[in-house]
Amino acid sequence: MNGKEREEIEKWIGGEESGREMLRRVRSGEGGFRYPPPLDRVPLRAGNVVEIVGPSPSAKTHILIHAAITSLLPKHYGGLDHSVLFLDLDSRFDITRFSQLLFHRISQQHSFDHSLFRLCMARFFYLPCYDPFQFLHTLRTLHSRLEKQKQLHGLAFHLLLIDNIGAFHWMDRASASMFFSQTQNTKKKLFLQTVSEAVVHNIRKLLQVHPMLIIVTKSVIFGNSYSTPSNDVNGNMEEKCSKNVTRSHQNFQYREYMPSVWQSLVTHRILLHSSDDHVTTNHQNSSFYLLEWLLPRLSFLDKIVVRDGGVFVDS
Amino acid sequence: MTPLKSFEKDYPLIDSNFQSFCVSHGIFSVEDFLLHDLDALIAFADSHSTSQTLKQGIDQLLSIIDALHPPLLNGLQLLEDAQRNKHILSTGCEGIDALLGGGLCEGQLTELVGSSSSGKTQACLLSASTVAKHESSVIYLDTGNSFSPQRIAHFVGQSSGYVFDNQADHILRKVLDRIICYSVFDIYQMFDVLHQLKINLRSEVVKSNQHVRLLIVDSISSLITPILGGSGPQGHALMVSAGFLLKKLAHEHNIAVLVTNHVVGGEDGVSKPALGESWKSVPHVRLLLSRDCGSNVCNISMLKHPSKVRYLIRKFLYGVVYVSQYHDASGWAASSAMYL
Repeated sequence: MNGKEREEIEKWIGGEESGREMLRRVRSGEGGFRYPPPLDRVPLRAGNVVEIVGPSPSAKTHILIHAAITSLLPKHYGGLDHSVLFLDLDSRFDITRFSQLLFHRISQQHSFDHSLFRLCMARFFYLPCYDPFQFLHTLRTLHSRLEKQKQLHGLAFHLLLIDNIGAFHWMDRASASMFFSQTQNTKKKLFLQTVSEAVVHNIRKLLQVHPMLIIVTKSVIFGNSYSTPSNDVNGNMEEKCSKNVTRSHQNFQYREYMPSVWQSLVTHRILLHSSDDHVTTNHQNSSFYLLEWLLPRLSFLDKIVVRDGGVFVDS
Repeated sequence: MTPLKSFEKDYPLIDSNFQSFCVSHGIFSVEDFLLHDLDALIAFADSHSTSQTLKQGIDQLLSIIDALHPPLLNGLQLLEDAQRNKHILSTGCEGIDALLGGGLCEGQLTELVGSSSSGKTQACLLSASTVAKHESSVIYLDTGNSFSPQRIAHFVGQSSGYVFDNQADHILRKVLDRIICYSVFDIYQMFDVLHQLKINLRSEVVKSNQHVRLLIVDSISSLITPILGGSGPQGHALMVSAGFLLKKLAHEHNIAVLVTNHVVGGEDGVSKPALGESWKSVPHVRLLLSRDCGSNVCNISMLKHPSKVRYLIRKFLYGVVYVSQYHDASGWAASSAMYL
């Protein structure tokens, strides 16, 4: 046995990494992501589904963009070095605003670096969905699309953002009559349930092959006074939607309208209140919102400020 | 809903054998196919005698649906598209333009909320005449017979300042030529007009030198509120669909959409927008117009804007008047002339 062969065999027996190295590798991949405030209260991991609930406007999309920028930035800029996918169900995303916030964030820490800006923009992926079926199809084909991008850019997707999961709620509830003929009665009753189940099923499957953190927003579609027609509907789906009414000390109410199958997917839930009465004159160009963790329930409220530069926690 | 049968002609793989296989799993249309568990379907196809062709059929169907949907874009491509194609259109009113950061943004849906006679229609007519003056077409959906060519003529005459009558007349005729007004009295008519517009824009029937840049629906709330009552969710679904259709048109064809929403009395005496909580997440920008009781002063405040966090209030008067801006209570004011 000559020296070269011996070296090869020893290398093979010797193992590839030490325990410390392995721990570091595992931690970096699956360990908690360090997101900036206000998402830093609870450790978030790949596979978690965070739902941000709030009336419109309450800076929900801003928080998504803030998290996206943190993910996009390279590690030595305080980011996570990941690609991000933004699914826009509301079709209201404003790329100009996104680029402004990214610009602000980069020039906050360093002098503005144009190549860094371009790098981050190239890592950000966007897809609008205009109807529930398009959303379903997108979820179904996402895996192959993400794989393709991964091969092209060599960067893994660890963050999926969905802006307003409730966007199609009314369409789903009514689309029985819009999409299906009278003869298909069984589908008619359970349409909302069927679509939600398919969405959740596709997300679960996606998470299995592609572990990532999912942050979704959900706008409150019922006002404080419940004079909505839904109260009169005694349908099958209405029973399956839980009618939780959350009443906080701010006297703000929100009613859950997503079916229970969706609620079972959500692992973290944040409630945002707008607080017009907290606007003070010494903070120009800013709006205030109160942020409450509902799942897991934390006993304190965070006060967040939205400025031109992004979202901050006001202490 | 698209039946699978409709693909039979163009795609030989989706033959009667494939269709009967799908029907045996309750799949009649593309929508059924999307709702079905794909892995389970492939597993069933595997056990079938003609598994190879069936699986090819499934792949074919997936690629057909893929082609119907927009591709994945990255931030750079998106920003490039926005900078190249999404222009900002002046409304013709300096006060509103400054508040919006330049004017109405192509690709976005801007909403004016306000009570009766708060200046919503005036703002729409002014925007229409301003955009039409700059060589672009305007589609105006009028729901209450409130479109007034005289008012347009007034706006055009006031700002062009031509001395000679025939020249002013020529310009006015051109401007009015570019504003295409439809009288629309229910939401189904609006859907018809919008679908026709979509088809026209796709096939470029609209003359290429007259690019449609602005779509106005005055007022969208009067079309939607009649269908919102009742016990079913259909009204809300139509409302949300209308919002999606407008936003899709705006995004794909680079059109600025301007809609108006009237105000109704709330339960506690405070007036609120007629289209409420579910509509709130539809527009990109919301402006609230209001008029102080008994005076000519009109206030505009920003309820929502994707790139502005500040809450500004501007006041203006009707007629040839002055604008002042207030920021909170600190009260710095600037003034400029405006015509409304």
